[in-house]
Amino acid sequence: MQSKLIFLPLAGIAIAGGPAYANVYLSVEQAQAVLFPGATFQPDTRTLTDEQAKAIERASGVSVRSKQLKAWKVSTGGWFIVDEVVGKHEYIPFAFGLDDKGAVKGIEILEYREAYGGQIRDPEWRKQFVGKELGTKLQLDKNIRNVSGATLSCKHVTDGVQRLLATYEIALKQSSR
Amino acid sequence: MKSHSNNPAVERAQPWLGTLVSIRVAGLDAPNTHHAIDAAFEEIALVHRLMSFHDGTSDVSRLNCSSVRRPVEVHPYTMEVVRRALAFSAASNGCFDVSVGAELVDWQFLPAPSGDAHASGGSWRDIEILPENRIAFHRPLWIDLGGIAKGFAVDRATERLRILGASQTVLNAGGDIRVQGQIAEPVRLAVESASETMPVLELTDGSVASSSGHRQRHWHNGHLYGPHVDGIRRMPAPTDRFVCVVAKDCVVADALTKIVMAKGIESVNLLQQFDASAYLHDPATGWQHLEGAVRAG
Repeated sequence: MQSKLIFLPLAGIAIAGGPAYANVYLSVEQAQAVLFPGATFQPDTRTLTDEQAKAIERASGVSVRSKQLKAWKVSTGGWFIVDEVVGKHEYIPFAFGLDDKGAVKGIEILEYREAYGGQIRDPEWRKQFVGKELGTKLQLDKNIRNVSGATLSCKHVTDGVQRLLATYEIALKQSSR
Repeated sequence: MKSHSNNPAVERAQPWLGTLVSIRVAGLDAPNTHHAIDAAFEEIALVHRLMSFHDGTSDVSRLNCSSVRRPVEVHPYTMEVVRRALAFSAASNGCFDVSVGAELVDWQFLPAPSGDAHASGGSWRDIEILPENRIAFHRPLWIDLGGIAKGFAVDRATERLRILGASQTVLNAGGDIRVQGQIAEPVRLAVESASETMPVLELTDGSVASSSGHRQRHWHNGHLYGPHVDGIRRMPAPTDRFVCVVAKDCVVADALTKIVMAKGIESVNLLQQFDASAYLHDPATGWQHLEGAVRAG
């Protein structure tokens, strides 16, 4: 076991602006292979009706932000859905697998992006670094994939799952066979 | 063990334990990598189901509801976590105490468990370990394993990865991180300060856990409360402090952050006892390195 605390200059990050913590985990195809190994996938994208959206909100207690449903019918039975929820600041896309009985088969987060705390998003706070000499230029999203001490809540993802379970009951179940 | 250096690292993330859990494996071919990651997530999911404070069917909920009337049988994992928790309580003279669930409910960090009367006035000393994985409470308690279960889950999952041939892994459960293998992994420490530098911990073959009361603190009945409780004073630990503990096992790092949070530099001896070290940030004093184990470089 070894550890060393180092301090990297923030200037480069602050000026660059963009999301400072951006981890890409899986592509849609990779997530399909992870959740349903060996299966093939038939795209079944559809648009929820206003009535369906309202029924889903009633059943899940979660609001439906988009009526577009990106679903795939799985050759081995079940459904594969790609959806997204809003985290603290950014959208979090995730993949969701349902087995042929409508039970959760798995959830895989596809990407997770968060800013480095509120202060860095604050333009006034950023301004103090503009024009300062940059230290080591960092490719942060490539080099630092882990953060410790931040509160990464996943409540929005669990809410999203509740919404998709209701979506299955209301919009997909009938066409499962 | 199949190992190919040209296999790219695979990282996957799932929502468990109320946070985001990510697992990265390098050096194995793709099928073995995904098999190992699946198995590691199963360990995490099991700990989640057993030790959730919110889920009425978890071991923790069953203990909180009925352990004071009759002993409750729990899963060996739950038993191991409670054993470890009691050892940290004994070592810290009660500063670390899983029975602070009662305070966390009072301060609105946790929902009140359903059922029996309100737990209050008890402590870790009222928890008795019995044979055959049974636990009894000697007075009504609400235990919360949130301060130790994540670290335990990370250790169990890392062990599963190792058994399945993955020897270069990074497991991160909402900031409780274990790095396996000899490559230094950079971990950003999310300190709330207006500094122009970003603290990054380089960690090799060990664990780190951090605690900060800043983001979750809130006012309640005219007082500022944070999510960390000093089990001796039954009062919130300082909410402007940031603590990061480095240890071999993640369960040790996880539990010790709560003690360092409450006791500050007085926890040096305890860190030494557990072969750990800590980085402590206070707005007034800046960074301090509390070095128990001198193995940290």
